[in-house]
Amino acid sequence: MGHLSGEYLYEIFARQKREDRLEHIGTISAPNAALARAYAWQTYDEQKWFEMVVAPREAFEAVNRDEEPFTLSPAEAR
Amino acid sequence: MSATEAAGFRTADDVPEDLRVDLAGLLLSLADNKRLLGMRYAEWLLGAPTLEAGIACSAMAQDEWGHSRILYAMLKDFGKDPGQLEHEREAEQYLSIELLDGPPAEWSGLVALNFLLDTALSVQIESLKESRFEPLHYKVRKILEEERFHFEHGRGWLARLAQTPAGLKSLGGALTPVWQSCLQWFGAPDGGLIARLSEAGISDAGPDELRARWLSRVGPMVTEAGLGLAESDDGSAWRSIIDPDWSKWDSARRRSGDGAVNAETLAAVRGDKNRAMLMD
Repeated sequence: MGHLSGEYLYEIFARQKREDRLEHIGTISAPNAALARAYAWQTYDEQKWFEMVVAPREAFEAVNRDEEPFTLSPAEAR
Repeated sequence: MSATEAAGFRTADDVPEDLRVDLAGLLLSLADNKRLLGMRYAEWLLGAPTLEAGIACSAMAQDEWGHSRILYAMLKDFGKDPGQLEHEREAEQYLSIELLDGPPAEWSGLVALNFLLDTALSVQIESLKESRFEPLHYKVRKILEEERFHFEHGRGWLARLAQTPAGLKSLGGALTPVWQSCLQWFGAPDGGLIARLSEAGISDAGPDELRARWLSRVGPMVTEAGLGLAESDDGSAWRSIIDPDWSKWDSARRRSGDGAVNAETLAAVRGDKNRAMLMD
């Protein structure tokens, strides 16, 4: 995925009801946390969320694999 | 008189005549500004610097048009015809701030409207949260829930543009006139409908208090961005470096200067082109 300089990936987690677990619902590119919050809420608006949170992808620590977290296909893995 | 001491008004008919005129004026001014601000957001749906920003502009445009629809509809209880208000008024009859007369030239201009003006409108709306005019309570809460993300978008773009010398220069040029107009928009300290509505407990703040609330919200972020528009000794009470200019302030139209929204914008917000096809 190509990026503008100064843009970061943010992972979005949300749940519809308090008794639900937070689920990973997507990823957004933004230059800072304020825009990540705005973009996440305004883009993933097809549900009425009880809670939504975002975290920078770089905050995630790989536990069992050496490749970058959130990598979907073997081709992407480095 | 505070809102908690005074009896509430359940309908527009319960509000004394002179206050009813003032309250209708404030609701119309909020509706008109939101309708036009929504138009300005919509103009950046295509052509914003990033796809995400375009999506955000689309969402904010829909929010603003939704809010203005709610506010126009409320005016029905004040003896107004919402259809006439939305589709049949001339430019001079709009109670909109001069900043919305035409589109901003650059993205930094939209960011200035987003961060400074949209926040000013929200500060004014928030002052109605505990209003004696009870029909406002639920509607205000719903509007402010959505506005939370407009504020995040504005502050996020302010910080982003301020990161580059070109962005900061563009921001400086765009923010100063918007800052000046927003300061004045809350009204002259010595009176006007904002002061009367506050005294009557319809809203919980007069012009100076509203200005202070707005400054405390936007002051820290413009200062952090490196723009010398506000200052604070203790980080809590913020002052504007620029003074309001009341020489051209028109309290009846809630704007500075004798201009009006331009013809192209007016035709678009009224929906002239489409409605013509539907008329006999």
